[in-house]
Amino acid sequence: MSSEGQIGLFEAICISSFIITTKIFYTSTSFIVKEVGTASWYTTLLSCAVSLFFFFLIYLLMKRFEGNNIVEIYELVLGKFLGKLISICFCAYGIFYAGSTLREFVEMIKAFNLPYTPPSVIMALFIGVVCLIVYFGLNGISRISVISFFPVIAGFITILVLTYPEYDADYLKPYLGYGINKTLITGVLRSSAYDEFFILTVIINSIHGLKNFKKAGVISLLIAGISFGISVACYLMVFGYKIGSENLSGMFELARVIYYNRFLQRLESIFLFTWVISSVVSVSISFYLPISIYCKAFRINRHKPLIFPFSFLLFLVAILPDNLTEVLQMNLLVIRQYSMFFIYLVPVAVLIISLITRKRGAALNAQKN
Amino acid sequence: MKKDSIFSRALSLITYKNAEKAKTFTIPEVEQSKNNAAGTAQYDNNGQTSKKSVHKNTRIIKKPIAPSEQKNNKSAIKADENHISNNIASNMAYLNNKFNYPDNKDFIIREFIIKGKYKAFLVYIDGMVDRMTINNFILRPLLKDENFVNENEVCELDYILANVIETNQAVKVTKPDEVIEEILIGDTGLYVDGCDYYIFSETKGYDKRNVDKPLIEGVVKGSQEAFNENLKTNTTLIRKIIKNNDLMTEFLKIGEKNNNLCAIMYVKGIVNPAIVEEVKRRISSLKTDYISGSGMLEQFIEENSWSIVPTILSTERPDRTASHILDGKVAIIAEGTPFALIVPITLFSLFHSPEDTSMRWQYGTLMRFIRIGAFFFATLLPGLYVALTNFHREMIPTDLLIAIAKAQENIPFPTILQVIFMEFAFELIREAGIRIPGIIGNTIGIIGALILGQAAVQANLVSPVLIIIIAITGLGNFAIPDFSLAFGARIIRLFFITMGCFIGFYGISLGLVVITALIANTKSFGVNMLEPLAPWIKKSQDLIIRKPVWKQERRPDYLNAVDKTMQPLISRKWTITDAQNPIQDKISSKRRDKDEQ
Repeated sequence: MSSEGQIGLFEAICISSFIITTKIFYTSTSFIVKEVGTASWYTTLLSCAVSLFFFFLIYLLMKRFEGNNIVEIYELVLGKFLGKLISICFCAYGIFYAGSTLREFVEMIKAFNLPYTPPSVIMALFIGVVCLIVYFGLNGISRISVISFFPVIAGFITILVLTYPEYDADYLKPYLGYGINKTLITGVLRSSAYDEFFILTVIINSIHGLKNFKKAGVISLLIAGISFGISVACYLMVFGYKIGSENLSGMFELARVIYYNRFLQRLESIFLFTWVISSVVSVSISFYLPISIYCKAFRINRHKPLIFPFSFLLFLVAILPDNLTEVLQMNLLVIRQYSMFFIYLVPVAVLIISLITRKRGAALNAQKN
Repeated sequence: MKKDSIFSRALSLITYKNAEKAKTFTIPEVEQSKNNAAGTAQYDNNGQTSKKSVHKNTRIIKKPIAPSEQKNNKSAIKADENHISNNIASNMAYLNNKFNYPDNKDFIIREFIIKGKYKAFLVYIDGMVDRMTINNFILRPLLKDENFVNENEVCELDYILANVIETNQAVKVTKPDEVIEEILIGDTGLYVDGCDYYIFSETKGYDKRNVDKPLIEGVVKGSQEAFNENLKTNTTLIRKIIKNNDLMTEFLKIGEKNNNLCAIMYVKGIVNPAIVEEVKRRISSLKTDYISGSGMLEQFIEENSWSIVPTILSTERPDRTASHILDGKVAIIAEGTPFALIVPITLFSLFHSPEDTSMRWQYGTLMRFIRIGAFFFATLLPGLYVALTNFHREMIPTDLLIAIAKAQENIPFPTILQVIFMEFAFELIREAGIRIPGIIGNTIGIIGALILGQAAVQANLVSPVLIIIIAITGLGNFAIPDFSLAFGARIIRLFFITMGCFIGFYGISLGLVVITALIANTKSFGVNMLEPLAPWIKKSQDLIIRKPVWKQERRPDYLNAVDKTMQPLISRKWTITDAQNPIQDKISSKRRDKDEQ
């Protein structure tokens, strides 16, 4: 049994879906509209399809080393030194990811809701709650993910439904956006925005192995793809590609345009609950990921002592960028556009190396013998 | 012992020490056929599994000692902690010493002589016993010579037990500590010179309150009986509802100095034996001088003392207790308080009321939604109001914003101060209402609220909108069916007011996550408080939306009960008797197949 505890399929789906999908509430929607215009709603579906392809390649790697997590696989295939080195790189990326997401959230909440509150206060409170969730381990994270899943989905659907009167399907034209080439290239690169399912490879021993890994990965990618596709399409139908590319947060702006009468209007503060809760859960998961990788790489049984030092690293990464523009142009561009070269291609390379060197897991070895 | 150096002590302050892992309890799965043997508790302590079995009845009737053995052993043994002497003087001296006689005035030893030659005594505590029973059914038969036909057997207590004593319950007691216990609980002991054991007759006769109406868990439809302070009455009230030979009642001693008793009740064959074992393990491990009743016992055996929400359900209703016992839970009743403790529970069961089952499912479900809404009002409303008026004014519809601003216009205090003032006033009224004697107490609430509220508004101390907010919050708090949870809601409310005041909706959202995370990771006797939601397990038929009673086929999944089924898939057999209807037949046969599977 894994020392992290065991979680079920639904919990695994919730964890994976949360970490992938939360970026809907951030700058991701307007960014993709800016990149590919009216083609953005199906570009994101293309990204999802590319991610599914890479997921299956990673699944093949996990199948070849059944019973091992990705950290162990790196060590088995590349040797202890190189394997650990790559694990530490993944660990560093995890911190970078969590810190950047936190900074993006803080910048946005400062811009929209708490303009007079010092960002360090917002950040410190946020990190405190994240540490509390991570303290309870994978089980605690899975529970909070499951509980938050339904209200967040409900909030998301409510916003999309209530903005229905503002929809204009003509805003989706021209259907090909800025051209098929641009769409294809961006579609492939933006598959990086779906690579967070990587967490499943780290916690594979806690989700009852390969069968649940495959199901959780595919289902969470589909949930994320569909949610992204629909939200981007709705966003486009409300704002069109021109104004749509200028907004900061797509979903927040959608919540802002809700107007039924003088009483039922401007629901962005209610949306704030959905936004904050999903962000806390998402950052908690992404913060747990590097801690878990570190523990696995250095055979540390208990993750709790690492929370405090890692929270400092998280805070450091979060305060490094000067402003939101730097976060968007540097951190988030790397995470959502180019991280695929690291997250997808390293495991694929390891798969190829294992095929060449004919290395395989103990379970498969036993089966062959 | 080697003393640590300053350096090592300083180092230990900043280095990590592996915390000792507390023993955790989980409920194991059991197979239905192995209901008695299976289900020993699983303890996870550093990955080790240990098995422990506790089986102890408080009233053990020992195998009778043969009279011949007694006669051969006539040499006098001194009465002490381990032996009952066969000498009357020694036994009396021992008991006098134990009960500090003659300083202790309510300890009575009544000496008499049977048939003019055999010395004997009765021992009891005055006030704890029923004098009529002792006089008429113990003492009088013993003093009548015609009751002793065979002279040779007169001194044999066995003979007296079988032929003379006229009480309904009488047992032989052979251990000195049991003798003390029996005397303390209000039974009367009889000793005859030459024997090395006592006979104890059930003569409890202390004053007790009658079975009354529930005071804090009243219902419109349903039973109107509540527990009282007497343990036997309480166990009988449950037995009156569950007339089942498998309903088990075990007694355990709690409190080393006050020697209180508590009863553990469960249905053998339904409950997972591991839960019973764990309850007994926790109670029997207690080492404390005094436990007054269920309130103290609850604090001693709960898993997490820091939890804001209660992890043990406390109820004064026998019908609610019986329903939980039949679900596969364990009831613990302590002598001296009119409450039963139910374990294990989930947060959702704290929102249930016995009325839910006695009403039709639509009404019951609606009531539950109202109660959950009430909980959210009780915890969040003032915090949201403070956050709205301080941070998110743009969200308030313009007309309402103008109304709030107008009401606020002449008030010199900020919203948070008004909220704190009103909260404090409200809590004062509530506390005073409980403490003030009967007749005044009933009216203090209304008068206090009216005068204080109206006067505060007229004096421009608080906004009238805030009075409405606090009133709704108070009503919400009273609508929470569990008293302890209502207390928890008050603490959570203060937390949300603070968060809302300092950092608006953002703070309240973070607070929600914190409270949820804490509750989700709290356990009640191995069951997570938010099951079956987190961890996600099988769908429940009686969680918030209550299915019709005939559709509730299964017991709660998280209990891992031995018998998981409460009723067959078709519990209403009358629905399948229409043989003339082919469609009905088809449905029925399908259901029957499913049922058989």
